[in-house]
Amino acid sequence: MNKSLGFLLVGLALLLSQAFSAVGCDLNDPDRDVKRLFPTSTGFKTLYLSIYKELQPKIEQRLGDKFAGLYETADVPYTLYQVYQNETLLGYIHGVNQKGHYGGLQIFLSLNKEGVIEGFYYQKLTSKQATVLRGQDFAKQFIGLSLKDFYAFNILTMQGSTKISAIKNPAPEAEDDFRSTLRAVKKNLILVDEFMLKNMHLVYFK
Amino acid sequence: MKIYQIAYKNLLRKKTRTLLTILGISLSSWVLVSLLGFNKGYEKSLSRDIDQLGFQVLLTAKGCPYEAATLMLKGGTGLKYMDEAVLKQVESYPEVKKVTAMIMHGVFDPNKGQSGGVSAYLGIDPKTYPNLKQYVKFKQGAWFTGATLNEAVLGYEAAELEQREIGDLILVPGTNLELKVVGILQRTGSQDDGTIFVPKQFIQEKFGLKGKITGIGIQVKQKDNITKFEDKLYKLPDVQVVSLAQVKETIMNLVATARVLVLSIAVIAILIAMLGVVNTILMSVFERFQEIGILKSMGAMPLDIFKMIWTETIILCSIGGVVGNLLALGLSIVTDTLIRQILPYTPSGRLVVIDAQLSLTTLVIIICIGIISGIYPAWKAATIRPLESMRSEGA
Repeated sequence: MNKSLGFLLVGLALLLSQAFSAVGCDLNDPDRDVKRLFPTSTGFKTLYLSIYKELQPKIEQRLGDKFAGLYETADVPYTLYQVYQNETLLGYIHGVNQKGHYGGLQIFLSLNKEGVIEGFYYQKLTSKQATVLRGQDFAKQFIGLSLKDFYAFNILTMQGSTKISAIKNPAPEAEDDFRSTLRAVKKNLILVDEFMLKNMHLVYFK
Repeated sequence: MKIYQIAYKNLLRKKTRTLLTILGISLSSWVLVSLLGFNKGYEKSLSRDIDQLGFQVLLTAKGCPYEAATLMLKGGTGLKYMDEAVLKQVESYPEVKKVTAMIMHGVFDPNKGQSGGVSAYLGIDPKTYPNLKQYVKFKQGAWFTGATLNEAVLGYEAAELEQREIGDLILVPGTNLELKVVGILQRTGSQDDGTIFVPKQFIQEKFGLKGKITGIGIQVKQKDNITKFEDKLYKLPDVQVVSLAQVKETIMNLVATARVLVLSIAVIAILIAMLGVVNTILMSVFERFQEIGILKSMGAMPLDIFKMIWTETIILCSIGGVVGNLLALGLSIVTDTLIRQILPYTPSGRLVVIDAQLSLTTLVIIICIGIISGIYPAWKAATIRPLESMRSEGA
């Protein structure tokens, strides 16, 4: 009996280990999270998208940085949620993975139809300053910004758009994670612009 | 002129037929060698793959979850510890080939997901654990040496999820302990993929668990003795034994069933080869009906004729056997690739293993086929009456 239980557990462990394999960025609980980000929504559609190798250099150019590391590649699946109130499109929810100082960050944005940020939060964050970074004061600084602002901001030199430069890092000890966050937000906006908004912000890219 | 020389020259007289017969025997021989080689190689590879799972027996404290998944299901609690002294006792058993101690530790991470979650760490002995997990390959880096405690090796999925590479740091949740990533494993398809490996001493020292372990992985010397050895382990107080021996036994029994099918096909290949040889030699005897009669009338004894025809058969089968063996050897990689494309699952390593013993055995089988197949045509030729043969049509 003990042995049978043992085999069952080994099997279960193997199954669970397979469940780890998703590297895309999905909402932990889409029903709950969509309602939280868009309280008036009545439904949502989930889209699975990928950029292709041909598109990667363009995205990198717009981002102002190369895709880094083994885990930021062209074939990463992106999950995008189109949120509706009955038949009317309210906006989008999209998350990206980003390499942080101590681990992977998962940063989600909720955007209106024009690609303006309405909500920001870390779904995953490992940091000694996690509590401060997850705080509402930090998240609020992103609301109202769009790719127009981020296109005017260099994520490597941290200079450019005054709106982005005005975002205050609530945890100076976590400078790496702060910079990573800005990079992730910019990447997130570029991808949504590419996937859903027909590159409507590309005119602001210099 | 000796009998075998006559037999050899007879074969050269009808080159096309001789070549075609040799080709037929070669093909049968090729099939036979490849099938037996596959049978041997597949079983060997599968057995090795199962052995490479690392441990044949896992010893844990009674009631203790022994892998990360169950630990997470239990919310990181429920770990029970054994005294490290048990390791010394297990090491002293003569059946033990390799052994390693492990300690699992779960840490609650409030920043994992929306409401927190458990991160599991497996503390291993860098001196002994890699010996038991020799199949593990690294995507980047290597095992830690144990010289520095604050180092980690990540499974493929863990590294992917955390976007970690060599030299990156990870933070043990709820503490200020930092670990430097020194290795990332290639995907194994096992729970190792989601595991964070750290030096055993790191967990023991940093979490106040000195002298404690949660599991002992054991590789046994004589596989046949695993069941007996397990009974011995059950006598240790407060431990539970998790065995992979039964899993292996079940899989190998299934393979044995498939082996019967493979051997049946081999027998069919032998029968086809045998009938082909009998047919060819018999035809050549009928063609030379008058010639054999003349030989007899010139003083050849029935035994001489028997030997001549028999020798022809044996020469054909020997050449066919050698060519078939060479074909099987030369094309074993192609056969291997084809089998891999056809079968849904194939173990790692060579699937078709052809060694000297198998080649020699097959050659002996093919020559035996020649000896047996040649008996009837040779007897038929030996019993030809000279007068009858010369009177027959075409004289």
